[in-house]
Amino acid sequence: MGIILEVKNLTKKFSGLTAVNDFSFEIHRGEFVGLIGPNGAGKTTVFNCISGIEKPTSGKIRFDGRDITGMKPHKIVNFGLVRTFQLVRSFKYMSLLDNINVSCLSPRGKKIAKEYGIDAYSSTILASVGLVDKARLPPVILPHGDLRKLQIGKALGTNPKLLLLDEPFSGLSHEEADVITDLIKSLYSDGVTVFVTGHVLRELMHLVPRVIAMHQGKFIADGPPEEVANNKIVLEAYLGRGGTFA
Amino acid sequence: MLQNQNKRNYLVDFKLYFKSWITTFRGKVTLVCLIGLFIIPFITTNTYILGIFYTFMIYTIFAASWDFLAGYVGQVSFGHAIFLGVAAYVTAYTTRFIPLAFWDFSTSQWVIIGPMPWWITLLLGAFIAVLFGLIVGIPSLRLKGPYLALGTLAMSLILYEIFKMSSLGTLWSNLFPGTVLFGTNGIGQVPPISQDPIIQYIIIFLIMCTAMAFLTHLVKSNTGTIFKAIRDDETGTKASGINTTKYKIIAFMISGFIAGIAGSLWSLRISGVNPGIFQPIYSFYGIIMAAIGGIATISGSALGAFIFVFLGEFLRLLGDNPNITGAIGGFVEPIFVFSIILILIIRFAEHGILQPALERLQNVWDLVLGR
Repeated sequence: MGIILEVKNLTKKFSGLTAVNDFSFEIHRGEFVGLIGPNGAGKTTVFNCISGIEKPTSGKIRFDGRDITGMKPHKIVNFGLVRTFQLVRSFKYMSLLDNINVSCLSPRGKKIAKEYGIDAYSSTILASVGLVDKARLPPVILPHGDLRKLQIGKALGTNPKLLLLDEPFSGLSHEEADVITDLIKSLYSDGVTVFVTGHVLRELMHLVPRVIAMHQGKFIADGPPEEVANNKIVLEAYLGRGGTFA
Repeated sequence: MLQNQNKRNYLVDFKLYFKSWITTFRGKVTLVCLIGLFIIPFITTNTYILGIFYTFMIYTIFAASWDFLAGYVGQVSFGHAIFLGVAAYVTAYTTRFIPLAFWDFSTSQWVIIGPMPWWITLLLGAFIAVLFGLIVGIPSLRLKGPYLALGTLAMSLILYEIFKMSSLGTLWSNLFPGTVLFGTNGIGQVPPISQDPIIQYIIIFLIMCTAMAFLTHLVKSNTGTIFKAIRDDETGTKASGINTTKYKIIAFMISGFIAGIAGSLWSLRISGVNPGIFQPIYSFYGIIMAAIGGIATISGSALGAFIFVFLGEFLRLLGDNPNITGAIGGFVEPIFVFSIILILIIRFAEHGILQPALERLQNVWDLVLGR
């Protein structure tokens, strides 16, 4: 299968505060991995460093055989490493179709989208995330669940090899979360490597076959969910000393 | 469902687009306005009236270029007069002092054909404005929001001071002999586009139509989609794999080009230019016009410029009347009135008056037709 993402000794400091401390892991092609940790563990910072939004203080990030440490975000996207944001980002005053179009107009997305026509290709993506009937509406009037779907649609427009999903379930009801879960599962079965964060263990535990746990910027565990959920350090991180999951 | 759409017939596309555009109410109103504007010089060749219309058309181009940059790309410039002034100076200078010539290889000397034609100086002015778009655009990658506005404002003030000088000092002129500036008087006696007012009017009219059609089409194109995405969320656009730096610079260059055309026409129209053109007041004129029509509506700039120029002219006439100025003092001063209008627009119609005006007009029209 081969390694698609390799993070080595990643460290990120914000003027004295160490958000990520000597963090290392590998993801293989076609894997489905979760990154867990309590609030403030540094999950989003790891994602920001990988996707180029922030420059790591030290450490190496390799994607698909390339060193992408400290590269500009748009370049990394065009190698096929695409992320979504924890706080929903959308182009507020443009239609959903145009929102997807932007991704399809990136150099990487264009290669495929051009063959079908940009609008037609975006429509199929909207259909695959279940928003095609709202294609002409702007994001400002949509409910939160739809915006989460839009985020994934925007990422799909660039034809990703590896998808980083930052808290795709935050702020969703159970029904909405189930829809997103199905969506992510279908992406995974289409051959996209998926790396997903979450601070609520329940959703991730049922979804992914492998989780990496972090706490206060440090790596603490890696393995199948049942094993990690019973790991002593993980339990301490979430519940304090002596806690257990019901 | 998906089919290969690579082969397109652009002429057929255009015809279809035009047909669908003309059936909309907005398209019809635009067409009527354009025809009305077109026949003005055939009705009257009064220099004063035509002069107002020239100013209106040039301001339309200028306001639209600002509206494109601020409304569609989200880069608010308070120094748009930079492009206006630079292009005006280049056009005035080349028309006055550089003849059209070619290098004769047989005799190894320049052969002068005659004065530089207006359209070459116009394009030259616009291209130098593009260059300045690059100069303004590159710092804009670091400056955001209010800081960009202040930066561009400062840049226009710097240029104002530079162009006010009559020489750049002995150090500079020793380094680059022959560089001259024109001081506070600027460059005068620039020949007009044509001695025939009708031809001059039609040329400016066509340039305005082309510029507006270009901008309107641009903001609807795929590139326009990317521009709007940068306006709405720059980080999000980067995360969609778009090189925002490149597109921001392109936007500055396009806006500079269009504003440069306005500047060149300006100096050809008033047969000269002086450093006053770099004053922030001209940048604000553009902003007022775009805001009256509605920011992020290219055609709104035309409505804004129309109101600005004609109301301004009316107020100027009132101000010239001693009875009126005696009664209400300087309150008819155009800039005073327009500042109040701008405040009212921002408070009560932040999306401008083009859209509401069109809706009202459509209601009235429906009423007339008895629908």
